[in-house]
Amino acid sequence: MAWVTDFAPTTSELDTCIDCGLCLPVCPTFRVTGDESASPRGRIAAMRAVDRGLIGVDDRFAEVMDLCLQCRACEVACPSLVQFGRMMEGARAEVTAQLPDWKAFATRTVFGRAIASRSAVVLLSWMVGVAQRAHVTGVLPGAVGKVTALRRVPLPVPTTAGHEWLPDGEPVGTVAFLAGCVMDQWYSDVHVAVIQVLRTAGYRVVAPPNQTCCGALAAHEGAAYDAAKMAARNVDAFAGYDLVVVDSAGCSAHMKGYGHWAAGGADLAERVVDANEFIAALIDEGSLPKVSEGKVPIAIQDPCHLRHAQRIVDEPRSILRAAGYAPVEIDPAGMCCGAAGAYQLSHPEMSDELGVRKAVQVEAAGLPRVASANPGCEMQLKTFLADGIDVVHPIEVYWDSVARHK
Amino acid sequence: MRWGYDDGMDLAARLIELLGATRVHTHPIDRLIYAKDSGVSSGDPAIVVLPETTEEVAAIVRMAAGADMPIVARGAGTGLAGGAVPASGSVLVVLTRMNAIYDVDEIGRTAWVGPGVINLDLSDALVDQDLHFAPDPSSQQSSTIGGNVGTNAGGPHCLAEGSTIAHVLGVEIVTVDGDIMVLGGAAPDPPGYDLRGLIVGSEGTLGIVTRVLVRLTENPPDVVTMLISFDGIGDAARTVSDIIGSGLVPAALEMMDGPMIEAVENFVHAGLPVGAGAVLLAEVVGHPAGIAAEADLIREIAVANAATDIRTATDEDERALLWKGRKSAFGAVAQAAPDYYLNDTVVPRTRFVEVLDEICAIADRYDLRLLNVFHAGDGNFHPLISFDASEQGMSEKVVAASHEMVHAAIAAGGTLSGEHGIGIEKRDLMSRVFSVDDLDAQARVREAFDPEGLLNPGKILPEGSRCFDRPAT
Repeated sequence: MAWVTDFAPTTSELDTCIDCGLCLPVCPTFRVTGDESASPRGRIAAMRAVDRGLIGVDDRFAEVMDLCLQCRACEVACPSLVQFGRMMEGARAEVTAQLPDWKAFATRTVFGRAIASRSAVVLLSWMVGVAQRAHVTGVLPGAVGKVTALRRVPLPVPTTAGHEWLPDGEPVGTVAFLAGCVMDQWYSDVHVAVIQVLRTAGYRVVAPPNQTCCGALAAHEGAAYDAAKMAARNVDAFAGYDLVVVDSAGCSAHMKGYGHWAAGGADLAERVVDANEFIAALIDEGSLPKVSEGKVPIAIQDPCHLRHAQRIVDEPRSILRAAGYAPVEIDPAGMCCGAAGAYQLSHPEMSDELGVRKAVQVEAAGLPRVASANPGCEMQLKTFLADGIDVVHPIEVYWDSVARHK
Repeated sequence: MRWGYDDGMDLAARLIELLGATRVHTHPIDRLIYAKDSGVSSGDPAIVVLPETTEEVAAIVRMAAGADMPIVARGAGTGLAGGAVPASGSVLVVLTRMNAIYDVDEIGRTAWVGPGVINLDLSDALVDQDLHFAPDPSSQQSSTIGGNVGTNAGGPHCLAEGSTIAHVLGVEIVTVDGDIMVLGGAAPDPPGYDLRGLIVGSEGTLGIVTRVLVRLTENPPDVVTMLISFDGIGDAARTVSDIIGSGLVPAALEMMDGPMIEAVENFVHAGLPVGAGAVLLAEVVGHPAGIAAEADLIREIAVANAATDIRTATDEDERALLWKGRKSAFGAVAQAAPDYYLNDTVVPRTRFVEVLDEICAIADRYDLRLLNVFHAGDGNFHPLISFDASEQGMSEKVVAASHEMVHAAIAAGGTLSGEHGIGIEKRDLMSRVFSVDDLDAQARVREAFDPEGLLNPGKILPEGSRCFDRPAT
């Protein structure tokens, strides 16, 4: 049996790879293991073997696919322009469809259904918030205990969807805003900073009420049919807005690929802009101020779905510079920190190894502060960094700076 | 069943006992994942192992040889001649985990390194010492030192620096008997036979390289990198001849033709002149005053040969971008078609233009799409045929055309491989450049190391290389 879903990697997609191997050294799991089966080229070879009918989708195939972080660093290294992330989502969809075990069921339940339900996310967030206040997170098992490293979840838990914010004067325009799923509850401070910065630039910000989770986690974890439904719902929710600002790299990267997921998705994808690129452009054109207060060095870590999936590299740096900081590079290769969404839970060993490596790079900079524009990376960094190093979001830092100089 | 689980099972169990389950693969998926390198041939290993120490390699070799199984060494699998393609039923020894750098001698400019160290990682690790490993194959961001030794890899900067063999002072190998030997060493001109020299380029047929003593090169104080555009490839080729003829040896002198420029620019966005007939990438290194004069001479020669544009990299970023363009050339051709076949012939520089015309004519005759990159300075051609292997009869057509191209180079006084090794893909062409007695001598050397023919069988030497194999004439 070969493929069974509409999402499977196609022969022509697979044919774009010519096995040159230039992707190997940028792949975090290959770096750790040295094993071709843990490399992009090896994973493509496995997909190709199924596509050609040489093997079926079995447990080993699932294991080979599941070890991938989906960081998409390989896409940047690839001179053949292989769409690896798309193919990996397809392969994961096949694994879920063909190996309907407890894991597939759990994946669909959590990332396909629960995350799209605001009440389920609110309930979970409330539990986390209570646990944090009761100081019991440290006794939670394994990777789940990492919620200790989360920002303190506000109680009662907030929600952004269905709200609207006006600038002080006449609006220069309107932008729609993605509330997101966990972002909305666990990182509401970042939402506040982004919305305030957009207001400062003169925008009316609208978070349409009927929107849902972007579906990135569902797509990454193989719950493809659920991901497609979420994409379709967002296509409706964001209809009529010229610009949709998204402040989580994983979400903006996924929505820019909506063309694969829903009718009308390509059109919405064109209108999606990551908050970093939008705000950096506003600063550049003079619609937002550059706060000058000397050059405070700050380490910078790039989220993979910003740097690799969207090639957004300069923007968070120019936002930090506008906030009066001097960004200091920690890793020229931009290797994944091991957070990778649900990966921390599914592959704690690999995730921890990469987390430790990233922490070593950050600590080598010898600075008290590191900026990272993604909640998953922030949680991972906080888990592995020595005490005394703060993890901050570039846009929060910028808003803080602007607010102080108003 | 084609992909059985049973072959070599007892050995697999013993290897798992030695290495642990995560470093031994026998599943059909893993055998397919490891079936090939970057070339077009494929094989089928019975067992894939990932050792971490020389002792583990020795134990693996003893077990595999004891079970009469072929043993094939593999690095990152970026070879283009099939050198690391596993023989059917073989034990594939993957050396990527042996990636330590030890004993860096800054004064003597040497280091012992594991075979799994990635070429570019070695140079990156030596930045603070202002040293680097000079051989720079286009695969250097991925390929391993072990693989570079196996194929005697070249690269753009080997024009002035020499290929890998000039940068390997010693090797530690595991023989087919499982013995550990060190050949060569840091002392200049070691006495006795130069067995180190035999190992470099032997593609794992004489032993498995488990450590390498590399020669390190001081980073040049200054560098000038120029991208020179031409309307026609003949103008570029004449420029190359004139530069070399002037007595100047640039650090690198690379050429790409029009179709290749277009494919590369689409990936690298380096502002390459799409629409130009050819570009030369010329680099001179040394002390600032000296190289300024050398760069001027190159510019003069280029202008005299109708160069249409000369761009000089203004900083390290621009220089890196131009080189990235050159080094991603092979991968970039996939934008044209899913498969490619690459030749590696060398021709005397004086016959460059003539052989190039002939190669283009061959491609036209077979109706094949041809893209060209060259290490122009040393006459190393990489004509690259872009094709779709799923088309009926296409692969045969490509191989036939490639063989004609190799013959054209040999007829002009050249040879069949500059730097990629022989592997499987050039093996049957060896008799075009070597006499039966030459091949017999090479086969005897191989027998001295590996009498049973277990180490990477079917590579380098064509079937029947030993004189007693020869049919009576």
